[in-house]
Amino acid sequence: MSIIYILIPIAILFVIIAIGVFFWAVRGEQFSDLNKQGHSILFEDDKEQHNKSND
Amino acid sequence: MSNNCFHCLESVPVGFTATVKIDGRPEPMCCIGCQTVAETIVAQGMTDYYKFRTVRAGKVEQLVPEQLKLVESYDNPDIQEEFISQTNDVSEVLLTVEGITCAACAWLIEKQLLNMPAVKRVDVNTSTNRAMIQWHKDALPLSEIIKSLLEIGYNAYPFQADLEASQKQQTAKAYIRRLGVAGLMTMQVMMFAFAMYFGMFSGMEENFEQYFRWISLVLASPVILYSALPFLTNAINGLKAKQLNMDLPVSLAIFGAYGASCYATIMAVGEVYFESICMFTFLLLLGKYLEFRARLKASEFTANLQKLLPLTARTLNVQGNEHIIAAKKLKLDDRVLIKPGETIPADGIVCAGATTVDESMMTGEHQPVDKYVEHQVFAGTVNHDGVIEIRINKVGQNTLLNQIIKLQHSALATRPKLVEITDKVAQWFVACLLIFASITAIGWYQIDPEHAFWITISVLVATCPCALSLAIPTALTCAVATLTRKGILIKQAHVLETLPQLTRVAFDKTGTLTQGRFTLDAVDILDNAYSKADILSLAAQLESYSEHPIATAFSEFTPQQRSLSNIKVQPGLGITGEDQKYHYAIGKSGWFDTKKTNAQATFYVDKQPIAHFYFVDEVKQNATELVASLKSQGLSCHMLTGDASNAGQKIAKKLNLDSFITGCLPQDKQQHVDNWSKQGEIVAMVGDGVNDSPVFNSAHLSIAMETGADISKNTADVVLLNSDLAAISHLLTVSKNTRRIIKQNLTISLIYNGSILPLAAMGLVAPWMAVIGMSASSIIVISNSLRLLKL
Repeated sequence: MSIIYILIPIAILFVIIAIGVFFWAVRGEQFSDLNKQGHSILFEDDKEQHNKSND
Repeated sequence: MSNNCFHCLESVPVGFTATVKIDGRPEPMCCIGCQTVAETIVAQGMTDYYKFRTVRAGKVEQLVPEQLKLVESYDNPDIQEEFISQTNDVSEVLLTVEGITCAACAWLIEKQLLNMPAVKRVDVNTSTNRAMIQWHKDALPLSEIIKSLLEIGYNAYPFQADLEASQKQQTAKAYIRRLGVAGLMTMQVMMFAFAMYFGMFSGMEENFEQYFRWISLVLASPVILYSALPFLTNAINGLKAKQLNMDLPVSLAIFGAYGASCYATIMAVGEVYFESICMFTFLLLLGKYLEFRARLKASEFTANLQKLLPLTARTLNVQGNEHIIAAKKLKLDDRVLIKPGETIPADGIVCAGATTVDESMMTGEHQPVDKYVEHQVFAGTVNHDGVIEIRINKVGQNTLLNQIIKLQHSALATRPKLVEITDKVAQWFVACLLIFASITAIGWYQIDPEHAFWITISVLVATCPCALSLAIPTALTCAVATLTRKGILIKQAHVLETLPQLTRVAFDKTGTLTQGRFTLDAVDILDNAYSKADILSLAAQLESYSEHPIATAFSEFTPQQRSLSNIKVQPGLGITGEDQKYHYAIGKSGWFDTKKTNAQATFYVDKQPIAHFYFVDEVKQNATELVASLKSQGLSCHMLTGDASNAGQKIAKKLNLDSFITGCLPQDKQQHVDNWSKQGEIVAMVGDGVNDSPVFNSAHLSIAMETGADISKNTADVVLLNSDLAAISHLLTVSKNTRRIIKQNLTISLIYNGSILPLAAMGLVAPWMAVIGMSASSIIVISNSLRLLKL
């Protein structure tokens, strides 16, 4: 059972990383408009290049 | 092929056959505007927009060269310094973009702007309709950015965030960060707490238990020291102001229990309460954040307003050449040219030309005022039909508009305020809590000194007013959400508490009790050769070319086929036109003759008067019902109007108002409301004009109409989005229900706290019981509040 002395601190490290990512997202305005962010995955950003290569 | 425009989904007019090839299929377009926009979207490879949009696009209006000139004036550095901020070589601007309807719009705008290499970053917010843009100013002028938005059909103009709005944004972000930390950490702490609960029943090795306590301490510390910090600062601020607020018992519980738990961990004695206080912090923050967000949305909606004054002015130099300069650079005695439809940039005297000016935003009256040479015109009013040249005689703070705004700010400082119910409850709760905690401590010290400290801490945790603190914010959040759905925006927290206590409601007349626009009341036909229908049809054709407010009264009579040509608008007089046989004119009475009548407009054929028109500003549909229902609830209704004519008296009689006062200046309105509050009345003011904004800050509660001036909407506590008076009675009903729910919530939470208190004082409450009791009481309170959503 003494493995938990190592595993729990590692888990805490992950939580700290998660909080870091969360703060980064807040600073990037990802939470100021929830409606937009939900749709952003639908759009293809490289469609233009796509069309050109097809031509 | 369908008959609707692919871009804006409006029907395609007969004879317009343009199509645009979108994803390989020709799609119909309804106008050149939509066609250009759609072509741009296709050319940029952004057709995903059409695939994923959820709301149709607005019809695209073609820009006139005048507007393009205005866009270019945004490049003037004097004008730019008001809304552009610069860090190193990157400029940042906030644009209000009209026509953003869904997430697809945001994507389209971001994509379009990021195509330009000079643009660094774009962030579009679909709920506020604003776009934040960072770019290199030297490489790309701002006007190019705005023009590229016009290419895809969005009209944009710079938005100047006021200090209050940007502070609110900061607060919102801080809330989210605190909430995130509290949420993530509480989950971890609860996990270890459960391990310890099981350990308590089935036994756990001593060293593991101590290890888990240390881990909980580490994980709970950010929640308490970061997320819960605002409670402590609020409580201390309250104490400094000699007030006991709700944050005081909250911080006592959180920080008291945290301190004791830390001590217990380090010294390996007693109980730890990390999970209770983390959970408590998270729930409370959540309740407070939701309430804050509901109000933030309302204020964001109204803050998105055009400025009262134009940014630019057109000055004339000695040779008579036009220059466009920043309006704030205007000096006394400058000569300024004002074209039809433009807003006057500063107070001045007309020195050439004649026109009518819409002063409704200052006076609330929609009847345009004639202006000739030597007349005074005011900043912020709108020039209607003539070109005038004015000599500036007042600038900056001295203009009438700024005087009114100053009046409004000074009233804010002395605004009457009712004691909020939360603070009342908090005061005696804190008192009881402190007394009870000290009795427990002293009592147990006599019996068992070793346990006295731990039992006192468990009293503090058990009586932690979690449900009590959630009782009010959750009820308010639900009520505000219900009202927002009905088109009633609540901007201030005190509104729902003030409403049920009102004793008096004062109304503005024009635009509030009345429609604020003219409708045809009577037609007096002088020559029987013409039928009423003929006269109205001819008059309506002429009036359709006019910007004058009276013209809207004729809009319903405008015929499909137009027979008149050579239409001329004569500023200050009326409109003329002709067909093959006759010359027609509609305009002010006595235009071609000298006969005095009190008609508001006369129709002429070959300069002979044929018919007189009389107009009225009709009372709104629901006004009578509203006044009756307010009176039946024991409120007295009054009218304060700037209009000095007898129209006020007529309406007061028709609506059966308790009193009316006409001819009020903004400060007179304030005076009357101040007098009423001095007599102990709780007053609500309902209005719409700039002239109402000072009195809004004198009344206990202020309600503005959506159709009103922007400044009054910004000042008001409540904005009625559909300008429907019936909303006021709805508002009253919801506020009364909210009050009832709040009372129930307070009772529930006090019963919980009251019943657990003796148990805790006897030392019977273990940490896990405290968590269950607290969460259960909070959930009951929240569910009770949710009932308000169904109203």
